[in-house]
Amino acid sequence: MSLLLFFISAFIFCIAIFLAGNRKFTIALMALFSLMHISFSIYAWMNRGVTELTYFSYNGPGLLMLFILSVLVIPVVYHGIIYNTKSDIKRFNIYHISLIALITFMSGAYIANNMTVLWIFAEATTLAVAALIYHDRTDVALEATWKYVFVCSVGIALAYLGILFLSFIYGKEDAANLSFETLQGLLKQANPVYLKIAFLFVLVGFSTKMGLFPMHTVTIDAHSVAPPPISALISTTLMNLGYLAIFRVYTLFSSSAIYSFMNNMLIISGTLSLLIAAGYMLKAKHLKRMLAYSSLENMGLVAVATGLGGSGYYGAFLIILLHSLVKSGLFFQMGQLHRVLGTFSLDEAGNYMILYPAGALVLLTGVILILAIPPSGLFIAEFLIIRETVFSNKIFIGITIFLFLCFIIYAMSTRVLHIIYSNPRNQHIPASEGIKVNPAETWTQFVFFAVVIILCIYQPPFVENIIKDSISFLIK
Amino acid sequence: MVNYLIVLFAVTNIFFASAERISIYIRLIAMQGLLLCGIALAGLSEVNLGNLIFIAAETIVFKTVIMPYLLFRIVKTSGVTKVHRLSMPAFYNLLFSIFALLISAMIAKSMLTGFVSSVFMTVALYTLFVGLLLIVTHRLIVSHIIGFMITENAVFLFSVAVGNEMPMLINIGILLDIFAGVLILGFFGLRIRSNTNEITKLKD
Repeated sequence: MSLLLFFISAFIFCIAIFLAGNRKFTIALMALFSLMHISFSIYAWMNRGVTELTYFSYNGPGLLMLFILSVLVIPVVYHGIIYNTKSDIKRFNIYHISLIALITFMSGAYIANNMTVLWIFAEATTLAVAALIYHDRTDVALEATWKYVFVCSVGIALAYLGILFLSFIYGKEDAANLSFETLQGLLKQANPVYLKIAFLFVLVGFSTKMGLFPMHTVTIDAHSVAPPPISALISTTLMNLGYLAIFRVYTLFSSSAIYSFMNNMLIISGTLSLLIAAGYMLKAKHLKRMLAYSSLENMGLVAVATGLGGSGYYGAFLIILLHSLVKSGLFFQMGQLHRVLGTFSLDEAGNYMILYPAGALVLLTGVILILAIPPSGLFIAEFLIIRETVFSNKIFIGITIFLFLCFIIYAMSTRVLHIIYSNPRNQHIPASEGIKVNPAETWTQFVFFAVVIILCIYQPPFVENIIKDSISFLIK
Repeated sequence: MVNYLIVLFAVTNIFFASAERISIYIRLIAMQGLLLCGIALAGLSEVNLGNLIFIAAETIVFKTVIMPYLLFRIVKTSGVTKVHRLSMPAFYNLLFSIFALLISAMIAKSMLTGFVSSVFMTVALYTLFVGLLLIVTHRLIVSHIIGFMITENAVFLFSVAVGNEMPMLINIGILLDIFAGVLILGFFGLRIRSNTNEITKLKD
């Protein structure tokens, strides 16, 4: 299946859902779309290194992220259908049209071989996500959507300025039409001041998508309001997209004079993200916001790992892969938890093990894995990062990270254990009292968690190769 | 000619710092749209006629007519006419604004190339700072939207600086305008009611 066919099919699916207005038809099309996306990823893998439609190439980190998205598509669609059981047909269809659009735009951005095309697709994801965050049509949803759209727009404008500065660097050459490879060839003529400013604009601009300090607040708000399957996407694949954009420019400049400047900026931004995540998690009162801060923590670690270099690069991509699996599993669980307890408030939640043992087991396992406690594969990634701080004589950063991680482990584990085993602090009458959730709904989460545990013990050559291929763009 | 228009554009930025009425802000935004049209027409001598007409039409239709119209509608719906009293006083805003102008001139001088003129660079950077300052120091949503519009104008000014060689970048800037105009103002801006003009329900 070629790229063009994929884009056209996605567009036709959206039109068909809109015109048909039938729930079963929409479900069938979503199943077909999921299979189509998986087939497209396999096609991309089989055509590694090939360029299609001039602006898209199947290689490096984009391919890895496309695979992650494909893995998540079926569970996201499945949990989305369950979440929308009571939605009217109009809202049901808008949700699924936006979901197809979001997945298609993200796929396009992953494989874009050109900064401007990547930017256009990233901008387009904001539109699709806005419609999904606003799904419940409440005042809080409006506020979260508004903030998301506004801050992302500012971020997008700043990222665009970064691209403009890239154009200034290359003078008469049309940077907007140049691929990453061509740009790299022209780098030697560049003025370092322009390079630094371009990198800073791209870092700040795309940190709205990556959910990294200083633009992290917007994704936190979006998480707490969006439907759980959408939170799973925002927290994983969309954040990966933000990182990819930053990483593309980082790769581009990695052989220039500003290499150490970029590393320092990433380490500062990542460490501050960890500080904020640790601080807010200690006072978190909303379960989904707590998970959102956990995403901030993980993206902070990815930024620090990239800034450290060496084995940190491998650690960064390992976090990207494993965090996507664990965090999406946890967000799927949030949908079930809300149906059982009727709340996301930490004070009003409790006795989850008695009310829904399968869900409690998912929550417990998920939190152990996300906190990088062995046998979580994330442990390997964090170990690589801490080890790199020692090897690169940045032990102070290692100690700081370790300290923040201790706070995060304490904050997250105490809160989750309270929900699972204790009585609620405040008695609350759940909105959805009496709803029984089928334990079979947890299968997606257990499958993801099993993969994360297996990757701690054994990393198959396929995974190693795809990560090393992503890093190979850097090592000259 | 271009330089005169750019300097006039910088003067509108200074006005933003001293104004306190939202209606003045909106008129200034419309004025900036007109000036950008003039700058594009005078500055983009090498761009083909069709593209130039498109750029001029976009600045007039979107920046000078549609966006100010939508902003006036938002003000009418929300009933807010003045900047929030808890915002930073105009005097300090003015000081910050002039400071931003000096910083912009210094940065522009340190980045001089034969490719982009320093006047363009100074005013574009200054506009960017003014937009971000307005977003940071003000509390009302309308002020935030106007701050974003100014930031967008800065982006447009930057893209005009390289527009002769790279018309595609200007077209993408226009895409950003349409995106912001339709989605931010047309859809969400109009849904913000008077009681939610400051939105603060979502917090830790």
